[in-house]
Amino acid sequence: MNPVHADILERLSELLGADRVKTDPDSLANYGKDWTRANDPRPTAIVFPGSIDEVQAIVRLANEYACALVPSGGRTGLSGGAVACQGEIVVSFERMNKILDFDPVDRQVICQPGVVTEVLQNFAEEQQLFYPVDFASSGSSQIGGNVATNAGGIKVIRYGLTRDWVVGMKVVTGSGELLDLNHGLIKNATGYDLRHLFIGSEGTLGLIVELTLKLTTPPKDPMVLVLAVDAMESAMDVLRSFQSRLPLTAFEFFSEKALRHVLAEKGLQRPCETVGEFYALIEFENVSEHTLDQAMEAFEYCMEQGWALDGTLSQSSAQARDLWRLREDISETIARFTPYKNDISVRVSRVPAFLREVDAIVSSRYPDFEIIWFGHIGDGNVHLNILKPDALDKAVFFKQCAEVSVEIFECVERFGGSVSAEHGVGLLKKPFLHYSRSAGEIACMKALKQVFDPRGVMNPGKIFD
Amino acid sequence: MKILVAVKRVVDANVKIRVKADNSGVELTNAKMAINPFCEIAVEEAIRIKEKGQADEVIVVSIGDKACQEQIRTSLALGADRGIHVEAEDGVQPLAVAKILKALIDKEGIGLVLLGKQSIDSDNNQVAQMLAALGNMPQGTFACAVELTDGKVKVTREIDGGEQTVLLSLPAVISSDLRLNEPRYASLPNIMKAKKKPIDTVTPADLGVNTASGLKIIAVEPPPARSAGVKVADVDELISKLKTEAKVI
Repeated sequence: MNPVHADILERLSELLGADRVKTDPDSLANYGKDWTRANDPRPTAIVFPGSIDEVQAIVRLANEYACALVPSGGRTGLSGGAVACQGEIVVSFERMNKILDFDPVDRQVICQPGVVTEVLQNFAEEQQLFYPVDFASSGSSQIGGNVATNAGGIKVIRYGLTRDWVVGMKVVTGSGELLDLNHGLIKNATGYDLRHLFIGSEGTLGLIVELTLKLTTPPKDPMVLVLAVDAMESAMDVLRSFQSRLPLTAFEFFSEKALRHVLAEKGLQRPCETVGEFYALIEFENVSEHTLDQAMEAFEYCMEQGWALDGTLSQSSAQARDLWRLREDISETIARFTPYKNDISVRVSRVPAFLREVDAIVSSRYPDFEIIWFGHIGDGNVHLNILKPDALDKAVFFKQCAEVSVEIFECVERFGGSVSAEHGVGLLKKPFLHYSRSAGEIACMKALKQVFDPRGVMNPGKIFD
Repeated sequence: MKILVAVKRVVDANVKIRVKADNSGVELTNAKMAINPFCEIAVEEAIRIKEKGQADEVIVVSIGDKACQEQIRTSLALGADRGIHVEAEDGVQPLAVAKILKALIDKEGIGLVLLGKQSIDSDNNQVAQMLAALGNMPQGTFACAVELTDGKVKVTREIDGGEQTVLLSLPAVISSDLRLNEPRYASLPNIMKAKKKPIDTVTPADLGVNTASGLKIIAVEPPPARSAGVKVADVDELISKLKTEAKVI
């Protein structure tokens, strides 16, 4: 260990107590990584602050010793944003996991960044309210990480992104200053809204130490429809037909190939007898006695037009849950094929053309690769998964995927899309940032980082170099 | 042969129910309702028997207020042929339900009755047995497999520690257990077709049944809240607590 590190570790132990500075190999390996496996974790230490004061003191020490910090939440990220692979000190918010205050009039909750998303969701439910940002990893992801990555998920079409629910936050900037941003105001037209810079900043500007989040009325009786559609274009027509008639809370899609894997692995039932090339999963609120009639009307229309081939409607919440599993269990099911994953977005209207083009790119280069498509088509976000053929060596497979990646991202650029829809940039998407952001934009981002983090201690090497 | 299936409208199995403030029952205002899961299994079994060509008609009956027509419609969408809605106040007790079903069996000339073993709201598990007694019919309760052969029905029953197979002559009463089958999804085209299938409405009085009950619910209480867990410092403390407090070792 270099002497600088030895010094700062001693100071950190004095500050936090030795039991909250961990350097054992298990902790280093565990807290140094997220859900990505491309980079081996190599942090110097893991620290566990319990208060804003302690966080500020840690950041000041990092500045004094020019030591990089990596903020760490539930470590469920998919772009390596929370990976510490160059001797950084990981700041885990695990101990700062309390819900501090709730105001039923404001319908706002103040909490520490380490609160697990699901805990917040359950807390809202106890107040007969609803925290609507939801995704597969909500049982382990933490709210601070959600904000730092502007997490999206399955209800974006109706409720927007994490950004839309943050009404206040306290941050410790890279220079150790505590900023109290927007403090729960709905209207506040007083210059730059710095809060929004920190949302999605992936820990490169400062550490989020407290959040004020708004809650909303829970959806009434969510019903789930799964429709078999003949082609991707039809899915967009189906979306339009349902969107104009019903209060949709989700519009997801998955391919027959994806469905087959889930059915085989999970022993679930096929949603309907007719096999489509794609399936649309539509969730809507059953708000009045006419809602179901409108849903049936939309379905009839889609059948007449030939867009929908068949479909089913949940008759109980158990069925609604099982139908959701057809979509939500895809990631887990295909994990054993060591998939190459990409999370990309284009404008909703351009999804079918984009999918066709990417399909053509991959299958012309590697006809043996199986492509699995699924995602949040209602907001233009698609997840591309390429499964590794059993016979192919992992290293060779990922090398081939990396080659095809460039072509896919060039295609994203042509469509005016994003190389990372909701998974952030972190380390994995860093080389491809320029396909979605101009040189001018990236220069502005770097200048902003300089303002908040002049010594470059906050998660350096993430998003851009 | 005609099959009669009874379905009950109950609070959805996944709803977190709350007891009313005056302890008179469970809060059902705005609660999501669904077919009792065991009844849904009975409907599925009846449809499968019909699909095998072993029955001519599946008639589905529900007893309750007008809202229970929703559950009849769902059953029709799954594949039942027609519905009978016995319009009554909610809370008809098992004996009256059994008498109503008995009257329908006589009226319709039913060959096989399929019921859920119990409803998830009142958990009585009585109707199938009472109906068999009233109609002097053989019963196969807690069925996990049903097979019709040569005018008889073979029912595999889930019993403590194993299975028992009984052979019943028809007409017979069968109550379904959880593992009998996995109910299908209602397809949207079938949901549309179900709107055109007939539902007759009758009253218990039409069937000569008095639903007045001698049973009165005095109070409904939620189960006691679980007490919070404790953290122990080390294995010794854990063992000592298991010995002295939990008294399990």
